[in-house]
Amino acid sequence: MKTIRLMTVGGVIAYRALFNWTRPSIFIGTLLIGPLFQLLFFAYLGRQLQVADDRFYLVGNAVLAATLAGVFGGTLAVGNERRYGTLGHVLLSPRSRTAVFLGRALPYGANGLFIAVFTLSVSALMLGLRIPIGAVPGLLTAMAIGSLASAFFGLTLGALGLRFRDVWVISNVAVALLMLLTGVNVPRANLPGWMATTGQYLPITHAAEAARQFAAGQGWSAAGPQLGREALVGLGYAVLAAVLLKVFEFESRRTASLETL
Amino acid sequence: MGSEYAIEADQLRRTYRGRTGWLRPRRTEVDAVRGVSFTVRRGELFGLLGPNGAGKTTTIKMLNTLLIPTSGTAVVCGQDVVRQTREVRRRIGYVFGGDRGLYERLSALDNLRYFAELYGVAPRDQKRRIAELLDLVGLAGRERERVEGYSRGMRQRLHIARGLLHAPEVLFLDEPSIGVDPVAARELRRTVADLAAGGTTVLLTTHYMAEADELCDRIAVIADGRIQALGTPAELRHRADGRRVVEVEAYGVPDTAVSALRGLPGVRETAVEERGALQLLTVQSDAHVDVQSDILRELAGIRLGRVSSREPTLEDAYVAIVSSS
Repeated sequence: MKTIRLMTVGGVIAYRALFNWTRPSIFIGTLLIGPLFQLLFFAYLGRQLQVADDRFYLVGNAVLAATLAGVFGGTLAVGNERRYGTLGHVLLSPRSRTAVFLGRALPYGANGLFIAVFTLSVSALMLGLRIPIGAVPGLLTAMAIGSLASAFFGLTLGALGLRFRDVWVISNVAVALLMLLTGVNVPRANLPGWMATTGQYLPITHAAEAARQFAAGQGWSAAGPQLGREALVGLGYAVLAAVLLKVFEFESRRTASLETL
Repeated sequence: MGSEYAIEADQLRRTYRGRTGWLRPRRTEVDAVRGVSFTVRRGELFGLLGPNGAGKTTTIKMLNTLLIPTSGTAVVCGQDVVRQTREVRRRIGYVFGGDRGLYERLSALDNLRYFAELYGVAPRDQKRRIAELLDLVGLAGRERERVEGYSRGMRQRLHIARGLLHAPEVLFLDEPSIGVDPVAARELRRTVADLAAGGTTVLLTTHYMAEADELCDRIAVIADGRIQALGTPAELRHRADGRRVVEVEAYGVPDTAVSALRGLPGVRETAVEERGALQLLTVQSDAHVDVQSDILRELAGIRLGRVSSREPTLEDAYVAIVSSS
């Protein structure tokens, strides 16, 4: 019970403390308006090139929009500790590191889901995409799992921030790779083999496919396997983040490689 | 209860290893702490004094588990700082001076709430404990303001409140009064004294002799990574026995004149403190040698202010100890 409290209550306070994109101007501009225009760009480009229909781009880009909060939020969840000089005080906690840091991913997952829902709803209204009401629970589930997987992916990048000072470079590249490799804008069948394979191990690849299946009116039995794969990818990143945080913390104590205070 | 000691450090050493250069990488090694041993009794207020780079903070970081010693051992509240890290962390608090180390975007209350979670304060006790601490450090009524608007003194008080959230047995205070105004520093000293009187073991590092003299039961002077002297303030003051101190206020003293003062017969130490345009020269000499007239002769032609002679203080003893290291 105490661990759950640490992950939830602690996670929410840490989100407010460390995610400086919650200022209304940045939140609306970067997390809501920006992804919407990006979606419209790809939707109109898709129409022009006749690669895929509107549903492909709207659903794919809505799921992609969720990754912004996850990837950058996860990076900030560790990186800003350095900025504020609070990392040492966090590392002095006797509580489980896994609970402290994985709990931080939860609000970013919720944030990502909100962005995905906003982006899909507004773009569907603008471009006239009809989504069957029965598809909504499945879509929400797919976007939620994809958002959480992105947050754990971001936390993995954030963990690298304990070792490498310029982790923002990695986060920026990661966001570009997600756009390219996860099949949200380019059908994975059209990607070179190694790219398609790499995409399988990135967050949102399977969530986007599951979401498209739900939006196309298919049921849980069709989309279920993709949801399961997405959950596994997310779990993998959660474990990787926890391991990296532990290893880098120990290394910092051994080699004094970290400016903890 | 176990040992009578809250802290036992035995031959602690810490070497920082690094690399410089891209084309021809070169390994660098700096021995920050070179075999430090001391004990602190339960409930004692122990001072660690030393100049910048002496090894004070590195020593504290080894004791509070943030750094693993290169060699040597340390036990805090009966727990080994390397093997029983979590047990040590449950029993210690850490406060350091400066502006950073707080979540700027949060209020003081939310900062304390978060660290109460991190430091394992039971949920049912958090509200009461936080209210007590806000009262103790004089931030009650300001706790809902964002920390980014706090003065340095308020931040420092919040640092202390955070360090005490889980009622630690041992409190490490790393230069807590640095940059704090005199009134706030006095309040801070009173808080620290009250904590020690209440049974908390305190390890304090500071640059301020008056602070150490007023607060500490015992003081270790550390320089060049080694403990140079250890004792009560009165015992350390004896290190300057047999000496006399002449203080001269002057304006525009060149380095050559200071060097010349060092060479005078009977002079043991010289120090120059810049106070704006004014320089305060402090010359320690053997008590039986009258160096005042020699000093004034060396400073001939330089504009002088007040000249006085006095008994040595703890600060003079400290200068003597550090200079001889």
